[in-house]
Amino acid sequence: MTYKLDLTDIQGNIIKAYGSYNYQKARYLLFRVNDGDKGRQFVGAIATKVTSAVPWGKLEGNAVAGKPQATTNIAFTYMGLQALELPDASLRGFPEDFMMGMAERKEILGDDGPSDPKFWDRIWKEDVHIWISINGQSIEAVEERYDWILQQIDACKNGVTLLMGHRGETGEDNLPYQDASVLYDNNGAPSPKEHFGYTDGIGDAVFEGQTNVAARALGRGKLTRDGNWEPLATGEFLLGHVDEAMEYPRTAPTPALLAHNGTYMVYRKLHENVGTFNRFLDEQSKTFSGSKELLAAKFSGRWRDNGAPIVNAPDDTSKAEWDKRFAAADFAGKKRMLSDFTYNEDMHGAKCPFSAHLRRINPRGSLEFGVRDAYETPGALVNRRRIIRRGLPYGTVKDATRDDGNHGIIFMALNADIQRQFEFIQQQWINYANDFKEGNDKEVLLGNHDADSPGKVVIHTDPDSGKPPHFVTNIPRLVETRGGGYFFIPSITAVKLIAAGLIDPT
Amino acid sequence: MSNIAGKAYAMNVITPIRWYMTWINRLIFKIALKNPETLKGLITLSLIHYARWVIVPRSGFPRLDPSQPKEDLQYSYMLFFSNFNGSWDQYVDSFTFAIPAGLDLFWKWNIRYPKSVPLTPFHKYIRHNQIDTLHYYNAYPMASSNDIKSAQKIKKALIDFNTTSVNKTPDDFLKDYNKLLIDLQHHFGDMKPTPIVSLSADAVKKRYLQSHLNSN
Amino acid sequence: MATKNGNATALTVLSPIKNAVMGETSCADITRERCLSLPIHEKSPLARVPNTYLARLFVLDDVYYESLPASDCVFNFSDITSFFSDSARKKALPRKDHLKSKYLVFSSNFYGDLDAYLAGLWKNWSYIDLSGNQRDVRHIWEYCVAFDRVTDISSFIDYIKRCQLDASLFFNGSTDDSLQEQLKSLYLKQEFTRFAIEHQGKNAAEIQQDFKTFIQRVQPENLSSPTWPPGKSAP
Repeated sequence: MTYKLDLTDIQGNIIKAYGSYNYQKARYLLFRVNDGDKGRQFVGAIATKVTSAVPWGKLEGNAVAGKPQATTNIAFTYMGLQALELPDASLRGFPEDFMMGMAERKEILGDDGPSDPKFWDRIWKEDVHIWISINGQSIEAVEERYDWILQQIDACKNGVTLLMGHRGETGEDNLPYQDASVLYDNNGAPSPKEHFGYTDGIGDAVFEGQTNVAARALGRGKLTRDGNWEPLATGEFLLGHVDEAMEYPRTAPTPALLAHNGTYMVYRKLHENVGTFNRFLDEQSKTFSGSKELLAAKFSGRWRDNGAPIVNAPDDTSKAEWDKRFAAADFAGKKRMLSDFTYNEDMHGAKCPFSAHLRRINPRGSLEFGVRDAYETPGALVNRRRIIRRGLPYGTVKDATRDDGNHGIIFMALNADIQRQFEFIQQQWINYANDFKEGNDKEVLLGNHDADSPGKVVIHTDPDSGKPPHFVTNIPRLVETRGGGYFFIPSITAVKLIAAGLIDPT
Repeated sequence: MSNIAGKAYAMNVITPIRWYMTWINRLIFKIALKNPETLKGLITLSLIHYARWVIVPRSGFPRLDPSQPKEDLQYSYMLFFSNFNGSWDQYVDSFTFAIPAGLDLFWKWNIRYPKSVPLTPFHKYIRHNQIDTLHYYNAYPMASSNDIKSAQKIKKALIDFNTTSVNKTPDDFLKDYNKLLIDLQHHFGDMKPTPIVSLSADAVKKRYLQSHLNSN
Repeated sequence: MATKNGNATALTVLSPIKNAVMGETSCADITRERCLSLPIHEKSPLARVPNTYLARLFVLDDVYYESLPASDCVFNFSDITSFFSDSARKKALPRKDHLKSKYLVFSSNFYGDLDAYLAGLWKNWSYIDLSGNQRDVRHIWEYCVAFDRVTDISSFIDYIKRCQLDASLFFNGSTDDSLQEQLKSLYLKQEFTRFAIEHQGKNAAEIQQDFKTFIQRVQPENLSSPTWPPGKSAP
């Protein structure tokens, strides 16, 4: 059965990771709506440039969708939809998490200490209503689209205000936009790295209706009892489609056209404490029996240099062999080597510890703990907790021994139910680990480690090796939240209906 | 009012069942008791400390005195009490996806039980029939059921190790000590207070602590 | 009896509350307020009752009407007859049931045998409520039917047994060790984890020496001390 999505109706950022289509630059803008009528006029103008999910290249018949120099996408906060005068009956249909917004959910997300909203970029104290993203194949293309958007503000007679207050590179705290960019290697070539040196953005969730779905689902969909992979249900990521629980997501507002083909986006500006990370890794690798790079890989579940999953390359020797096979593989083979794996042969975590980022955010079949057929399906505890990740690094690291400055990741997660998917992962699997039988041990890289009572994780070993497990101790806060919000990404149809003031759930 | 005590959630569910069907449920429970295999999913899930199913026949509500009016019920009732880690809203997906058939088996004969999938009707069915707890006590608010089981292993291993290895030569001691750590490597999880279960539960707890501090 | 699972016991008690009003408040509501004024965690009276793993109190006011979509798994003949007769359609609706008494429900999971547990409960259930008053177990059950006849341990045990219901299935997903054993184990888990971390990479002789000191300090076989107090809620 093939399931076809209305790609002309779905916003492009849901389906495409622009970064992997050579869009190396991005700019994120936040707006306040000052006036319902004029605000809708602005949304209507933007709607004409909103990028759909249509595949670039030849379409059915003779149509060709050209790949633009820059893309544009739009999303709204709950306050934004109020300001745009959606009817109360529609507004009430949104879920609690989205209505409250991210800052109000800080106790669930663990945004405490240095991640507390009071330390966020000051733009998040403003009334954030609309989010617009520009992804460009060059900074010039981004600038051009940005200028066009500024013109639309004038054209709608200031029905919206572009909000200022993003923190910038040199300490300024009043920028009108957040820039992001892929990082470049020493030769100036774009690289898939982030500031800690990890290779990022490899294994996003794959769902029914995406193109070439059978091949892409390997290691990225849901694991079946016979060891195959199937795409996840569309409704895990798009409202108005059936989800893994065999129902339409209950987070959808009415009318159906408002919700259909839309989704929720979690936007987070995550600052990376590069100096602390480097010192911490150096310090911890002194007592670790393997190499420093192996320890770094144990934190994330992938080797930093090329993203090799440690479960298939658990030590320096096997990594060298993996690299050889990887070099020899074709494009599809490479993708497969990066994504298509399970922890079935690693139930002790001797290769990939339970605390590794990768294993925590997507445990695949491992929460059955090797008990054959314990659950209805091996991914029973996982398939309802998946997210699609988007985003790019921001800022530059000028001094790798320091934490200050402005560098990190613009993290975006897409899901049909923020509470059940993103928030659950963040609270139960990153900042807590009972599902992994690891008590309160937090994930090393993203955990909200507490300076007053620093945590630890256990790097497991093979019981037959005679080698004791290694404790990684005194883990500092490596990543801090610097801002963020919960947004609704409507379908293009819904954006136009909002703009036209035609939403009516009667 | 609190359904939460530390890492445990108290669930009380009361559901009507046709009185002439209760024998089927009793039989199912008997089979489940005899065949641990039927509870394998629940055991692997490892979220529950203790849970029980109680069937109250139509005439089975305790009557202690002639002055107490006699109950006159058309249905028998099934009571379900559970102590599990996390809240119902957080973990309904985990239960439903891990053991849908088991849930159906236990509730199948209850009036208007909707089956565990699709999930929302099931979630609502339990909520509809749930009774909130007024006072919930947990002897170990910082420990999950996993922690209790880990702790049991650690205690036994420590005592054994202390008997067999503590007076060996340092080198042999170390070998055994390393073996001890390997055997226990999945049981070292930290035990700290629970992450907040919900914002409303957190607010109630904070108010309690606040007023309690004032009254002292 | 299915109410036991190994050494763990499930106690389910439904004590009818008098259908009476004190002033303008019903006995059920007074009972509810008293349950709500119990202090929690370490200060709960249940923390003093030996061998209580987890326990709860609530008031069962009534049973619920199943105003839910029709979903009977059994083929329902009335589905057909309903087409022809409206009274058949109405009969297929869930019946309305109501309880004539409200019940104080006490549900406990504990270690050991019922009589010893109830004796411990009678003797040790004392606490200072949230308004600062010293209370005992009689305060919670005071307005239950026939509780005025309870005067001592044996009449209390008899009373609770008359209110007791058997469990058809008692699932134990934890252990059936004594509570002291469980708490001591949790203490040891935390202490030994700390020890293991602090001694990572140290030489054999030093670990061995420190381990001996460690064992002397934590006394693994001494269940009463050092250990976690029941209800310990903060590190």
